[in-house]
Amino acid sequence: MKRPHVIVLWCVVVLIYAFMLVPILITAAVSFNAAERSYFPPRGFSLHWWAMAVAPQWTAPFLFSLKLAAISAVATAIFGLPLALAMRRPAFRGRGVLQALTIGPLVLPSLVTGIALLQFLTLAGMGDWIGLPALIIGHIIICLPFMVRTLSVSLESIPLNAEVAAASLGAPRWRVLWEVTLPLARSGAGAGMIFAFISSFDDINLALFVARPGEVPLTVQIMQFIEYGFSPTLAALSILSLLVPLALVAVFGKLVGIGNFIYQDHGHA
Amino acid sequence: MPEPALVMRGLIKRYGKDTTVGPVDLTVQPGEFVTLLGPSGCGKTTTLNMIAGFVIPDAGSIHLAGRHVETLPPFCRDLGIVFQDYALFPHRTVAENIGFGLHMRKVKRAVIARRVHEAMQMVRLEGLGERRPMQLSGGQRQRVALARALVIQPSLLLLDEPLSNLDLKLREEMRLEISALQRRLGIATVFVTHDQAEALTMSDRIAVMRGGRIEQLGQAREIYETPATAFVASFIGTTNMIRGTVEPGGVGGRLRVVTAAGSAVVADCGRRDKGGAVMTIRPERLKLAIPGAAPEGANAWPAMVTRVIYLGAHREIQVRLPDGSGAVSYVANEGGAAWDEGEAVCVWFRPEDAWLVREDG
Repeated sequence: MKRPHVIVLWCVVVLIYAFMLVPILITAAVSFNAAERSYFPPRGFSLHWWAMAVAPQWTAPFLFSLKLAAISAVATAIFGLPLALAMRRPAFRGRGVLQALTIGPLVLPSLVTGIALLQFLTLAGMGDWIGLPALIIGHIIICLPFMVRTLSVSLESIPLNAEVAAASLGAPRWRVLWEVTLPLARSGAGAGMIFAFISSFDDINLALFVARPGEVPLTVQIMQFIEYGFSPTLAALSILSLLVPLALVAVFGKLVGIGNFIYQDHGHA
Repeated sequence: MPEPALVMRGLIKRYGKDTTVGPVDLTVQPGEFVTLLGPSGCGKTTTLNMIAGFVIPDAGSIHLAGRHVETLPPFCRDLGIVFQDYALFPHRTVAENIGFGLHMRKVKRAVIARRVHEAMQMVRLEGLGERRPMQLSGGQRQRVALARALVIQPSLLLLDEPLSNLDLKLREEMRLEISALQRRLGIATVFVTHDQAEALTMSDRIAVMRGGRIEQLGQAREIYETPATAFVASFIGTTNMIRGTVEPGGVGGRLRVVTAAGSAVVADCGRRDKGGAVMTIRPERLKLAIPGAAPEGANAWPAMVTRVIYLGAHREIQVRLPDGSGAVSYVANEGGAAWDEGEAVCVWFRPEDAWLVREDG
């Protein structure tokens, strides 16, 4: 016999999951249609649309998106780490300014960031940066606030004197960084990279402006395709672009222990 | 005479305009256990940090085993430090934590393994080498921190309030354990604490600090029985402090002190300066008697018992003196009858039971 509020709680949870998962399941079902159009429930069963989805027309932007997301994730970590380390120092004068600059893009629609980046590159005579380099720059800007945030949380969880203790045991500064600080910032960096990867993979607002024709990410390609109407190919693609990054993230998360970052305080003894 | 383990001369650190730590002068002999004792903000931690190299002094010199170190970064000073929060590396096992210093010194793997093993035996952590700090109790973490500091065989061991995160029972155990270990290894140690019981239990010498300076340096007994200032007298243990003035009229190495509660003759402890002084009498030296029954030659004042607190080994008896001020007497529990609240008594003390200190300026 369960108490009423427990039942209500369960209903809410089930509803939330239903809203999240049912559309995905419908999409998955639609992709197996044998008919020429998107029916639900699907009429017949065929892998025709899946065959279409893995044609070069789609694999090229798909791989391009994966490449872009991976590079953006790594680059964001490379830029984010020194930022987070600098902001941790209480004596660092530019902290306020740097913090504002880093958090800034968070409140700016990425559409605006995209337009600004496009304008800047054009006016600065860096037109040939449009394409992959511009996309990477844009995605670093978008993802940096999250990276710095997750890194900072990790760094804060380092026991107060652990770095000092390492120094007293004979570790020069770079050694302290390598042996103590960085390993303990790993889960924050991992979480930030996963976030950057997903944001980059999902981004369309910025990509619309700075992608180079013929070398577009999957989102832009889908957008262009959809102007001519929906096809079950897109349903198959959607499922693919859901599963592939999910699998990558799962494997990566396992490697860096992102679970630690989210669920467990491994600092204060 | 062997080289002292630590010599600090005229060490000064300024913080802003008003706060200055120092000048601190202190010499620690090989094998000696010296405690920096004082309330928070007295400069004991800053002094420790200057020895360790985390704070650079504005003036003065530090020698570690004859080596001039005040300009050396922490990692070159060859010290073992145990921190209040243990400061273990959470991502490493106990064995890796302990071996860290040896690893930094590029000691061979096999040698590290052997010395880590010995260190773990020394602090009774056998078999826990593969655990992570998270999986240990507070006392075990403290032992790891201790082993990590000792395994590098430092010339000096610094202990920064290492016991204050432990509960009382464990703290008392660790006091004796650290003390025994320190003596066995014969390692010179500087211990920072605000806990006088720790200081009295463990130290060869105690430096009582206040306002950035060492107010008195000496063995536990000197600090307790012959405090240099009213602050030292009140910081270590409980004491009765009775303000008065030194008057002429003392004879035969005695001084006459007039207080609001009455006058007294006290032993001349070398303070010839006339005028304001504070008479300190430890509660165990302040005795009670029925009125008129004080021994010959003792100072006796009438008093009234206001409260009796039973503490097992002794009773704490609070009395009111003629001027209305309070005093405390400890009466050993010898099985006999005790005093009653409201009883008229006399408090008495021999001239050598009181100790005169200057009034704090």
